[in-house]
Amino acid sequence: MTLAAGRWPVYAAPAAGERRSGALVVYRLELLKISRMIQVRTMAVLGIIGPFLAVAVLRVQSATPGDTAFGQWVHESGLAIPMVVLGFGAPWVGPVLVAVVAGDIFSSEDRFGTWKTILTRSRSRGQLFAGKALAALTFAIALMVLLTVTDLVAGLAAGTQPVVGLGGQLVRAGPAAGLVALSYLSDLPPLLGFTALAVMLSVISRNSVVGIGGPIVITLVLQVVTLISLPAWAQMALISTPFQAWHGFWAQPAFYGEFLWGLVTAAAWFVICGVVSWLVFRRRVIGVAS
Amino acid sequence: MARLRRARRRALAAAGAALPLAILLTGCGGSTGITAGPLQTSISGTFANLYVLQQAEQGNPRPSLRSLHTRASCQRGTPATPQDGSGNWLCLITYEIAGPGYPVIAKYKVDVQTDGCYAADGDGPASVNGSPTITGPHYVQLVNPLSLIDGCFDIA
Repeated sequence: MTLAAGRWPVYAAPAAGERRSGALVVYRLELLKISRMIQVRTMAVLGIIGPFLAVAVLRVQSATPGDTAFGQWVHESGLAIPMVVLGFGAPWVGPVLVAVVAGDIFSSEDRFGTWKTILTRSRSRGQLFAGKALAALTFAIALMVLLTVTDLVAGLAAGTQPVVGLGGQLVRAGPAAGLVALSYLSDLPPLLGFTALAVMLSVISRNSVVGIGGPIVITLVLQVVTLISLPAWAQMALISTPFQAWHGFWAQPAFYGEFLWGLVTAAAWFVICGVVSWLVFRRRVIGVAS
Repeated sequence: MARLRRARRRALAAAGAALPLAILLTGCGGSTGITAGPLQTSISGTFANLYVLQQAEQGNPRPSLRSLHTRASCQRGTPATPQDGSGNWLCLITYEIAGPGYPVIAKYKVDVQTDGCYAADGDGPASVNGSPTITGPHYVQLVNPLSLIDGCFDIA
């Protein structure tokens, strides 16, 4: 008997009494697998102690990272420190960290040759795809939330003096803490776009080297492209630009145009990469000797 | 082997298509959004705020923002350079500290990035923006807010 992809005999459907959706089962299993990965555990540990380490390093030296926004204020106010970390790290650290998980989540099944095994369980391709993609997105969200909390706490621990915003205005600790959290969370949409990109590369290439390395290379290329004076619309279409959109929150008056364009851009990348991944995954021939 | 060759050919084709596209984009794709207008508005407002902060930190009487009448005039490269795009700009910021008749001009070398954020490096007068630190009450050394100005404007 030959099975068309995605079409399964009746006995493969979940039993009548079972309420849990197949995608949810896959999702839970994938989350469990992710949480056991040594890379993920290392990231979690670094995500927790890293911000405090950054604060400590900046404390013991008198030099300031003056070439980054907020860099000259790191000794005046603790709340400037998370912004230096974000401005310096987000455009390349974020994509690299999510790619480690998202770029491997599909292709690891190719590496271990386990597609045939899991597809003969009573889960459809759609459920597997949804579960795995959701797990990758959950990881990206969890990572960003963790970094938001630890960086903000480290900043507050370093000092709650008013911080100078990007309009020259003094921002008191309360509103500044809100702006720090908002700035970090504004990097989530492009990060999810990158997650979808890594998933797409992982699905298409069936190879974790491409799945993880691809987004890293693309990140580096985009870093160079951002240095070129592109027309504003082209600049807005790059998935790396929304990582900097938080600058507008700190201006006086604050502006949100770049952030809103970033949402559109991230959504477009997300949808295109997601649809391509699903189309490729749905039609894939698995288990036939080539 | 054939697969690898095909992949390589495809990558070459992609690179070949991307290069002219990039050149086209940089050449004639419209404004970068980085022009004198928004830069002048942004940097004069930011300067005024930081001037007030500087005076307060030095223990001087706090000037009111409005009385400063801050305005800026910025230029990219020479007048012949296209006045649109990231890179090195020069800004002259005029403000009044002793009434309308006495304008002071502060000079800044401004490095504008492609996302509309800039770092303005003070280039005189030395007493205003020349030193990276200022002396506050009780001889405490503080960051001079006017020595290096970070700011951003909207290019979207």
